[in-house]
Amino acid sequence: MLTDRTKRNLKRELRHSLMAKVALVTAVLIFLVALFAPFIAPYDPTTQELAGSNLPPLGVSTTTETTAMVDGEMTRVEEEVAGTTAHPMGTDALGRDMLSRVIYGARTSLLVGIIGTALAAVSGVSVGMVAGYYGGKVDDGLMRFADIMLAFPALVLAIALIAMFGSGRLLVPDPWVELGLVADRPERFVFPGTVTLVVALVNWVWFARIARGEALSVRGEEYVKAARSIGASDSYIIRKHVLPNSVTPILVLATIQVAAIILLESSLSFLGFSGTTLSWGFDIAQGRDRLATSWWIASMPGLAIVVSVVSINLLGDWLRDALDPGLEGAGGGGGA
Amino acid sequence: MSLVRFVLRRVLQGLFVIWGVITVVFLLRFVTPGSPVDAVAPLDASPELRARIAQELGLDQPIYVQYFDYLFGLLQGDMGYSYISGTPAAVRVFARLPATIELAVAATLVALVFSIPLGVISATRRHKPADYAATSFSLVGISTPNFWLGIMLILIVSVNLGLLPTSRRPIGLLPALELLVFQLEVSGVRTWLAHMILPALTLGTYFTALIVRLTRSGMLDELGKSYVRATRAKGLPETLVRYKHVLRNTLIPIVTILGLQLGTLIGGAVITEFVFSWPGLGTLVINAITSRDWTIIQGSLIVIGAGFVIVNTAVDVLYATINPQVIYD
Repeated sequence: MLTDRTKRNLKRELRHSLMAKVALVTAVLIFLVALFAPFIAPYDPTTQELAGSNLPPLGVSTTTETTAMVDGEMTRVEEEVAGTTAHPMGTDALGRDMLSRVIYGARTSLLVGIIGTALAAVSGVSVGMVAGYYGGKVDDGLMRFADIMLAFPALVLAIALIAMFGSGRLLVPDPWVELGLVADRPERFVFPGTVTLVVALVNWVWFARIARGEALSVRGEEYVKAARSIGASDSYIIRKHVLPNSVTPILVLATIQVAAIILLESSLSFLGFSGTTLSWGFDIAQGRDRLATSWWIASMPGLAIVVSVVSINLLGDWLRDALDPGLEGAGGGGGA
Repeated sequence: MSLVRFVLRRVLQGLFVIWGVITVVFLLRFVTPGSPVDAVAPLDASPELRARIAQELGLDQPIYVQYFDYLFGLLQGDMGYSYISGTPAAVRVFARLPATIELAVAATLVALVFSIPLGVISATRRHKPADYAATSFSLVGISTPNFWLGIMLILIVSVNLGLLPTSRRPIGLLPALELLVFQLEVSGVRTWLAHMILPALTLGTYFTALIVRLTRSGMLDELGKSYVRATRAKGLPETLVRYKHVLRNTLIPIVTILGLQLGTLIGGAVITEFVFSWPGLGTLVINAITSRDWTIIQGSLIVIGAGFVIVNTAVDVLYATINPQVIYD
């Protein structure tokens, strides 16, 4: 797919850019954390321990008021609670370990982000290639439909679609627990299937637009005419000539879209529409009601989102700079 | 093609997309499992009662009859009645519209005020500390979910510093202005402003960040062009070169991109409204979806979609009028 020259460009850009290095390392780390979550998380993210609820993160101490029996009388007692290394990010209102929840949350975000982008890319690129290659009425029809899709804000369209389909979810067995490599961790995790479909449905248009533009610009080229004149079929020409020429902008867009979809997924989880309770957005919603007492419940998952999305956006910048210096500016929108 | 014909064609195109939006929204309900009767009828309703409700809602008609009824209703400003409260959907949707527009406009103003200077500084002091600060800010800004930003602002500004209110706002802009004009009472405007600051910052940050990026890269592109060398060579002061020529040429394409990003602005407004209990279309549509109040969902989606198309058309027309280079196609 990628030629030697683009590989060379990628390496050269990586050598010169500190940001690209940092981003690549961070993104790979987050990916590994999501993949090996059961090994890395110190606790089961769903285990409640009410005795140790609302513990602050390491290095922070809070005062909590409790009622206790002192000399046979109920009195208010102020208690100083300090964060410990046992729960470096503190615990939530049900005593679940925030660090473990943030680690497992990476799974939900990356799964939806990567699979959602892949679905959007495959469907969008197919539609866009056909529209751009054939032109005429097919093109007009498909692109007017794309215009209508674009008239709905991604988030609004997504919640409308979820309202229709309901928030379906798939319980996927955790391969590591299944293989018996790790114990005391959730045996299954929720894969928010509807949300993944919905984010793909919402974002395919951006891929369609780019692919269409590329197909339009390539179809008039001499080599395409030559291929056609020696009897190559349309699908052969699209696969062998049109598609490979469009790989670069599609790859850059796909990277930015992973970031946009992670943001969209977190918004949907925050609103309670995603069907999973183990996600960054969901935890932020939980922490929102406890800002005055336990600020870390909403803060930690949000920081995880920012770090992931920043590193993926930086990867996108790197790819863009290395692959196509002419492609500047903002990519696809979406997200919130 | 003349300007008039271009405007006409663009408006017709816009109307076509709005019709498409209405049709898609209308059809949404028919591919949804479950019937609107479920939202209205009591749980233990007899089949006869359900049939009567369906008849009253016009659901027993063939789909094309329902479709044309709905279309003609819309032309007369009738979106049907809320399945939950029984009030006209159009009244509820349009009552919420001003709050959303106020929020979107305030956020856009925040974005314009902060972003263009930052972008200019960033481009003109390339690879200096100011540039790094501005580019880092814009990177983090486009990567932060705005609902989380809103919550963090509430945490820092309201909970910890005790500065701004977070409750549902008691007064809108128009009533506040009425109070000011007719009774010379400033407290209304002050309350309105106090409730507006955090939501506007929350929604505006993403756009500030986005425009900083666009301004920076656009200006760097322009600065490299030969006309800049020519204006410098003829001895024009650098400030004139930058602001009269370069910045102006940079801003023109940004207008179009902002028009396209309007959808993101509205989507962001929906969730920002939810965080701040803002009495706008966003909270209305989220609540309607939770309670499956289809007439309200349809009405809000149509107003949101149509608003997007109208603003985009206006941007295109404006753009064509101010920029003589545009080829009307």
